[in-house]
Amino acid sequence: MAGGITQRAGRARTAVARATILPLLVRAAIALVFFGALTVAWPVSLVISRYLAILAVVAVYPAFAPRGRGTTFAVLVVVGGWIADTTYYDARVALWRVLAIATLTYVGHTLAALAAVLPYDAMVNVDVLTSWLVRAALVVLGSAVLTVIVLGLTSELAGGAFLVATLVGLAAAVGATMVLARMLRRT
Amino acid sequence: MTGTESPTLRAAVPPTGAAGAEESWAPPVWVPTRALGRTVLLTGLLLVLGVALGRVDLVLLAAPFAIGAAVGLRRMPRSAPELTISAEEEHIVEGGEVEAGLTVANPDVINYDLVVVRTRTSPWLKLEDADRPHAITVAPDGWTAVDLSGRATRWGRQSVGPAAARVAACGGLLACRPVVIPAKGVRVYPETEPFAATEAMPAAAGLVGNHRSRRPGEGGELAGVRPFAPGDRLRRIDWRVSLRTRDLHVASTLSDRDAEVLLLLDVLGEAGESGGVKGKASVLDTTVRAAAAIAEHYLQRGDRVSLAEYGGSARRLRGATGRRQYLTVLEWLLDVRAERGDRAPAEHVFAAHNVSSDALVVVLTPLVDPRAADMLAGLVQSGRFTVAVDTLPEGAAPPQRGPWTPLATRLWRMERENVLGRLREHGVPVVEWAGAGSLDLVLRDVSRLASAPRGR
Repeated sequence: MAGGITQRAGRARTAVARATILPLLVRAAIALVFFGALTVAWPVSLVISRYLAILAVVAVYPAFAPRGRGTTFAVLVVVGGWIADTTYYDARVALWRVLAIATLTYVGHTLAALAAVLPYDAMVNVDVLTSWLVRAALVVLGSAVLTVIVLGLTSELAGGAFLVATLVGLAAAVGATMVLARMLRRT
Repeated sequence: MTGTESPTLRAAVPPTGAAGAEESWAPPVWVPTRALGRTVLLTGLLLVLGVALGRVDLVLLAAPFAIGAAVGLRRMPRSAPELTISAEEEHIVEGGEVEAGLTVANPDVINYDLVVVRTRTSPWLKLEDADRPHAITVAPDGWTAVDLSGRATRWGRQSVGPAAARVAACGGLLACRPVVIPAKGVRVYPETEPFAATEAMPAAAGLVGNHRSRRPGEGGELAGVRPFAPGDRLRRIDWRVSLRTRDLHVASTLSDRDAEVLLLLDVLGEAGESGGVKGKASVLDTTVRAAAAIAEHYLQRGDRVSLAEYGGSARRLRGATGRRQYLTVLEWLLDVRAERGDRAPAEHVFAAHNVSSDALVVVLTPLVDPRAADMLAGLVQSGRFTVAVDTLPEGAAPPQRGPWTPLATRLWRMERENVLGRLREHGVPVVEWAGAGSLDLVLRDVSRLASAPRGR
């Protein structure tokens, strides 16, 4: 037991000594982005209470273990908080919050995907990070435009939100299925 | 067996279709990552929740994941990356610069978003950042190189590799299985410490060379004047002596001969810690560098140099002359290893009849193993001109294992001094290797011994 702890401590010291700046920044960004998403998604009353520490732990965990299930769990906690706030706490679905949560969760997800394949002690060419972030920015921009248009349409068709959600959801489900089917056929 | 029904016999050659199918099967090069699984899970879950709860915002939360997957997977990679190690193949001497590199080529039509390449290297190759993984991108149908330049700090067959590359493409949704390639060798030759022996060889034996031999013949060194005999060349006639004595006399000369040098390397054990080219030298370091220097010196003078290992493997390099032999010697020295295990040295290989009686035998030994001392004494007893070079580094001591270690070390040192003394009594000169002029004094003694009549 004691030997195991000493070994772990030794490994941690080696990791800290060998770590390079860019992988460290990527991991810090993952924690920051998920923390931002959690604070936006969860009800304000919970965020300013001592439960913030739990949210911080949920946000920081994927930064330490980007290869594990921590990232999926963090995104699910964000979505859970958002659903709780808009149903139980009866908060209004504000455009900026939807945009912020969608953007931050996706950026956290894609940065975790990068950190999962990027060793902490790697010598990273800046091109790697730049191209990764540019691609993430394009995706975020596209989905933001979609969000603004769809939420605008929903408010125009006041009362018909359920119908719009059903239609958009069905279209998206069909689209996603097609993408996955195409992908599987190729592999 | 000659019954009603012929038995079912298995075909000696399997059907071609099945074999072809088996051969063509290979694990897929590209595999989905956890990020792809997460994308599918979150997109599906958010869409289902959106439809079930009638919430358009939940559908919109899934949008970036779906768009990201669509953008990433619009084109799929098909082939594996190609990784190559490049290492300098020129003549590298320890302490010299080494140029090595890793090149990743992308034969695919999509961009490699992240390639992590890493390599192992020999501990004696100090290459810049070679101990760290390198993260790069590779454009479609292009290549990217990682430069690993540095210094080689010790002689031997060093290696760069094995190297491995792992590629993530499609925004990290797909990753390729690691591509591993074998190591590439880098030959690092020993630094030859300057060495110059001005003393004559004890016994020059061959037909060509520039040592003064003990045999009369065509040469430059005057041996004496003797009466003319049939077969003598006219230009050899010494007219002054002939006039004085009224009889034809010729000046006789000693022929110029080459010599054979046998370098015997004691590889029964390694002692001391090697610190590389500028650091402390271990037994094998001194042995190899000294052997290279002595061989270079005698080969430049036109002598024949042969080498042999005193150990279980008993490698041997037969004698030859010239620059080609020098390069062969250097190549041969790269494979010098300390003997592991308790294999006894092949005594018959080092028996006196295998060593030319005229050869100068230089034994490079730490004199730690009593068998080496016995071998030396045996060579001298059989009348070979033998010189021992002590290769034990100064201050070499066994590792501290207890309170009695210093005392035991002192006893061992005294015993070793005793062995050295006894060897000197037997007529084996033992010198410590100190570069230039190391062997001059002892070679002079050996030459003197050689000029004495050999009454054995």
